[in-house]
Amino acid sequence: MVLLIGCDNSSLVIDRLCDEAVKEDTVVMCFYFDFAARNEQSPVNMLGSLLRQLVSGQENIPEAVVQSFRERKRGIGGRGLQVSGVLEMLQTIAATKRTFICVDALDECVPAHRIVVLESLRQILRGSPNTRLFVTGRQQVRSEVEKRFGGATTFISIQPTEDGVVR
Amino acid sequence: MSQNFSDNCNSINIANSFNYTPSDDESKILAWLSPLEPWVRHRDIGAERVDGIGAWILETREFRRWRNVSSEDESNHATLFCDGNPGVGKSYIM
Repeated sequence: MVLLIGCDNSSLVIDRLCDEAVKEDTVVMCFYFDFAARNEQSPVNMLGSLLRQLVSGQENIPEAVVQSFRERKRGIGGRGLQVSGVLEMLQTIAATKRTFICVDALDECVPAHRIVVLESLRQILRGSPNTRLFVTGRQQVRSEVEKRFGGATTFISIQPTEDGVVR
Repeated sequence: MSQNFSDNCNSINIANSFNYTPSDDESKILAWLSPLEPWVRHRDIGAERVDGIGAWILETREFRRWRNVSSEDESNHATLFCDGNPGVGKSYIM
């Protein structure tokens, strides 16, 4: 399989997940929110980027994606993707495999986008029992995650020390 | 990394050329899905990270349970959220 983000011993969680990914039919996807890029990081672009990584890990681009691409192209002015369309494709493909979605700095996603992103991720998890979600963010967004995902969430708090990142 | 990515696209295009019409080539479809390239950030962070920092997280019970839980498992821990204040190195953990 092709792993888009690469397993280059440069990260912790993603790298550990990739170790497993080469053994099984597993796809690891990542996304890094950045407040400075908030205009480009719209929900549809963020979810589209996850989908892009998911289909890049396949031998062939899934038929659902190719069909959607052709239909959109035929539309007047070449209509762009919408959240519902991306979500549908993500759900369909993610449900057939073991997938890990890793999202960094959720707090740097603007609040209006965050609602859409969290709800979309919730729907992916609901329809795909073999999908795992890893999220980092400041404590201020913890309650939003808790509210959206309820009891299915495990929390780890990271505290700084002089010699690095520890618990 | 982005170079590798386009190399992969090229090799896939060649292998699957009988499946797609020239106008539907794979790189066009991928670019249509999203213009964002988070793997570039992933590579940059990896280059900055100091070895060993944050490795404790991989050994926590919480992480192992989250990674290994199967769909048959009644106790569903699908989401793992790492919180911390700015500057504690959350991005390096991921």
